Amino acid sequence: MAAAAAVSLEQIDWENPEQIGLWQDAWQRFRRNPIAVGGLIFVCLLVLDALLAPLLVAVHVIADPLKQDVANSYAGFSLQHPLGTDYLGRDLMSRVMFGARISLTIGLTVQVIYLLIGGTIGLVSGYLGGRVDNLLMRFVDIWYAFPDLLFLLVVVSIFQPSLFVIFGAIGIIGWVDLARLIRGQVLSLKEKEFVEGARAAGSGPSKIILRHLLPNTLGPIIVSLTFGIPRAIFLEATLSYLGVGIPPPTPSWGIMISDGNQAIFAYPHQVLVPALALAITMLSFSFIGDGLRDAIDPRMRR
Amino acid sequence: MDVSIGRFRWLRVPAVVTVIGLLVAACGTSTSSTSNLAKDQTLRLNNNTEPNSLDPGQEQYSYEGSIGASISEALLKIKPDLSDAAPATAASYSVSTDGLTWTFKIRSNAKWSDGKPVTGADFVYAWQRILDPRLAASYADPFFDGTIAGGANYLNLDPSKPADVAKIPAFLSGLGLSAPDASTFVVKLQAPSPFFKWIASLWMSAPVRKDVVDQYGSDKWATSPTSLITNGQYKVSEWVSKDHITLVPNTNYWGGQPTVTKIINYMITDDNQAYAKYLNGELDEVTVPLANTQLVKGDPKLSKEIKFVPQLTLFWMDFNTRKAPFNNKDARLAFSKAVDRNALVTNVLQQRSTAASYFIPKGMNGYRPDLGTTQAFDAAAAKTLLTSAVGDPSKITIDFLIRNSTANKQIGEFLAAQLQTNLGVKVNQIVIDSKTVTTRLRAHNYQLYVGGWGADYPDDQDWFDIWMTGSGNVFGGWSNPAYDALVKQADTTADATKRQSLYDQAQKILIDEAGGGFLYQRNYMYLVKPYVQGLTTTAQDFTNVGDWFWGKVSLASH
Amino acid sequence: MAVAQGAPPRGALISFKIPRGRGVSLTLYIIRRILWLVPVLFFVITITFVLMHLAPGSPWDREGKQLSAAVVRNLNAKYGLSDPFLVQYLRYLVNVVHFDFGLSFQYEDQPVSALILRSWPPTAVIGALAFVMIVIFGIGIGVVAALRQNTWVDYAVVGFSTIGASTPAFVLGIILIIIFSVSLYRITGGNFSLPTGGFALDQHLIMPVVTLATLPIAFIARLTRASTLEVLRQDYIRTAWAKGLRERLVVTKHVLKNSLIPVVSALGPTFAVLITGSVIVESVFAIPGIGRAFVVAVSSRDYPMILATTILFSVIVALANLVVDLLYTVIDPRVRLG
Repeated sequence: MAAAAAVSLEQIDWENPEQIGLWQDAWQRFRRNPIAVGGLIFVCLLVLDALLAPLLVAVHVIADPLKQDVANSYAGFSLQHPLGTDYLGRDLMSRVMFGARISLTIGLTVQVIYLLIGGTIGLVSGYLGGRVDNLLMRFVDIWYAFPDLLFLLVVVSIFQPSLFVIFGAIGIIGWVDLARLIRGQVLSLKEKEFVEGARAAGSGPSKIILRHLLPNTLGPIIVSLTFGIPRAIFLEATLSYLGVGIPPPTPSWGIMISDGNQAIFAYPHQVLVPALALAITMLSFSFIGDGLRDAIDPRMRR
Repeated sequence: MDVSIGRFRWLRVPAVVTVIGLLVAACGTSTSSTSNLAKDQTLRLNNNTEPNSLDPGQEQYSYEGSIGASISEALLKIKPDLSDAAPATAASYSVSTDGLTWTFKIRSNAKWSDGKPVTGADFVYAWQRILDPRLAASYADPFFDGTIAGGANYLNLDPSKPADVAKIPAFLSGLGLSAPDASTFVVKLQAPSPFFKWIASLWMSAPVRKDVVDQYGSDKWATSPTSLITNGQYKVSEWVSKDHITLVPNTNYWGGQPTVTKIINYMITDDNQAYAKYLNGELDEVTVPLANTQLVKGDPKLSKEIKFVPQLTLFWMDFNTRKAPFNNKDARLAFSKAVDRNALVTNVLQQRSTAASYFIPKGMNGYRPDLGTTQAFDAAAAKTLLTSAVGDPSKITIDFLIRNSTANKQIGEFLAAQLQTNLGVKVNQIVIDSKTVTTRLRAHNYQLYVGGWGADYPDDQDWFDIWMTGSGNVFGGWSNPAYDALVKQADTTADATKRQSLYDQAQKILIDEAGGGFLYQRNYMYLVKPYVQGLTTTAQDFTNVGDWFWGKVSLASH
Repeated sequence: MAVAQGAPPRGALISFKIPRGRGVSLTLYIIRRILWLVPVLFFVITITFVLMHLAPGSPWDREGKQLSAAVVRNLNAKYGLSDPFLVQYLRYLVNVVHFDFGLSFQYEDQPVSALILRSWPPTAVIGALAFVMIVIFGIGIGVVAALRQNTWVDYAVVGFSTIGASTPAFVLGIILIIIFSVSLYRITGGNFSLPTGGFALDQHLIMPVVTLATLPIAFIARLTRASTLEVLRQDYIRTAWAKGLRERLVVTKHVLKNSLIPVVSALGPTFAVLITGSVIVESVFAIPGIGRAFVVAVSSRDYPMILATTILFSVIVALANLVVDLLYTVIDPRVRLG
């Protein structure tokens, strides 16, 4: 902003104004937000960790998360085990680092599914209105009332409980919230003047939806997606607790939290370590989310 | 000196008082001085899960027996040391010389909670009812249809077929059950059954009132305190679904009134919640959550409240013998030898269980730890044995079925790691919900599973029968005709020594052939408030230690 | 710019008048929505019925000792489970129309409707209280954070909401128990502490309600904040500031109603979820509610209980969505329904 203000009137070329695309502009503004950048850095570190964790184990930088040492179960912080060990003597730090892989994947993949299914249905339903809206929303009603747990039980028993099955199942169940959120936004936005203007200018429905409605619904969507990530991770933990979760011995933060809960009186660090990892991840995503929303908003005032 | 006359007469009263005082002081232990009792004799317990029903004929879970055993009383009752079954509602019993006729004499002062006397007819009705296919009683088979004369036809009567239903009345009246007079109950058996006294002590065999069932309906009489007429030392006074069940003394009980005048059974499923309630003085007894074991042992106050009670429960690795590699005896043996049981019980199970590479747990007559050497831990020998039996272990993948509770998962993860490390095989841990596990077990769609058995009663017969060919309680399909013959003979042998030796031979076959890979015997570790006195624990306690004998408990003031 | 016909001019007070002649009249709309419940319920029942019979395992499978085949056969006969699928399905539909929801398999022979009527009130009470907290605090602090963007107030709200969202209910619950029950009891020598669990209409409600409400408050606060920020940047709001209107007036008259659409969208399902129970909170605090009852019913394959509870949930969800849709028209009178 300071740089822009310093440009004097003579220097502006009125014949060829500087063109920047929406996203380039957004990226520039995003970069100027230290908190958002901080969040992005942490998430990048997390992704790096997720990708490199097996390599780190192979070169003995961190312990093998599957290696049991039951004589040392529930150990506290030490040089050998910086974050202690769990009930089977497995190193907690490496389990947290490996847990990131599962949790990140679940958190992100599921949001993508939500966006694809829920986003589409919400946009279409809200914009078209009338009978289409009614039918789609009744379909959503049915989906809401669905006994999720029963559905998951059946799905998991028909197909073996594997990661893909569980991701898919969680995604298929949970898109309804986003659909209703987006539909609500669209219902209110489509009566606004700029939409009328676009229609008057001759834009077809898909163009109106994608270029005008979607960007203006982004704020709440981003919040919903950002919150959706820990929600998905918790759902995975609840599912493990109820018996339809990720099969052992793969570590995930959700499993570590729900298992560690048993020992909260005696060894609180079992729960606190993964919970802290989850909290910091969540913070990072929400900073990114805020930064994104601020950066994209064309009316952003700084 | 003669204190009744003369100048020593004044000594009489003080002498008598002193003598009495000394006697009381001598007889009284630190716990029985009556002035020490709490004003409120209410015992608060956690029953964990809500009973589905308290109808003796419909019962089978331990969280039902925990209450059922207090409100319903059978002919006999186990002794605390499980050495025998003592007379309860029956004052005495006699067995005919051929072992086929058991005659029970019912106490003249045995009364129901509504004051009516307990008669032999009540037992005849209750046992016929259990064997009525229309009731679908859980314990009808094998305890009743396998022992009572005429009961064998139970399996053939299908209550959904009208033709069979028509045969039921004749079937029931043809059973070997009769009450020649009001205070006698006679049972005729199919074969001599030395263990029958234990069946007569099962709380499911308690009497039931025909008029009550007729009045309220077979399905409804046991669901509300007003209609739940029982004959035990306590009766149900309040049942708030999912919250608690309250018991108060049965004022008509023959054996006198207990000191504890109210027992509240809560239904708290969360271990942490129950533990917190105990710490806050809202529960008088609680199981120690596994993870808190060391914490409790190290706590100066709590460590004094620990009650450690061995149980007649044992767990093993169940091998599906229909699929490779477990169709090979040496392979099974190799797996049995590959598990470090000491590490399991010391570290994973926090020293609360006992390592066991044999079948019958400590506390039973058939306890033979010396037979456990065949399956003892020896990683190197295990691997060699496996390789020579089926070849390269790294080519073997085992589907390991695990029920989805935390405890099962922990043990499962440990076992999988042991097998992978010590044998080099690959183990697929399949953690799914309980019903699906059972379905797969029955469909034989698994390779490895951790199974177990808890004694219904402290007789070897209850244990050995489950490994017989065709039994529905073990899924692996292991079958050995020599074993079957030995057990069948032992079940009907009256002579105790001969019987034991037959069971011992059978156990040796079972262990040597690794029908199961035996792992550990489970024990109970509970915290009990210090003011709970007279606690009488047994190796067959249900959900709280001492819950067979609440009548002996009193609460000191606190 | 022309003001669309029939719509109140911008900046007007929140109007309860639903424009006539645009779309359908209100009462008719509500009636139609309620009538739609019938096909919705029909589909839900059918799908649930099919799922239940697809799920492996029968109600009679036990964990330890197995029931003998004869006993299982007898039980199936008693509950009509040996009849063909279609017969069972039709019989159930007929019964439902007569409001007969059958007897529970697990709690032998207690009518399912009685079981539900007993376990629902504790759940509903706690859920309703949590919902009130969520509406008041969630929206309240969200708006405040938006108005004070980038000040310490904003950061505090963001921070709290993140921590609240990052702590699963079962961890938060047990932490609260440890702090306010166990430790408080020990510190005060047994004189004062919050009860560890159970349900009663007194301080027993505090911890479960707080645990239940924390994550939704965090979510609603962030949602409100995001939505309010968007509205605050609109031209007409800047006009209002420029006109010198007082903050409170601007907020209540202009900002709130425009920012609440997405919040109301989220509150509807939140309400439905709260009222139908959280198995986690009910387990941790030993509350005899319907959330836990449903999960237990699924694990033990108690078909009548599963069906009846699902029907109850569907009705609640459908009604909650109806209320949300109606609220859209109240908040933003230009929204057209039907």
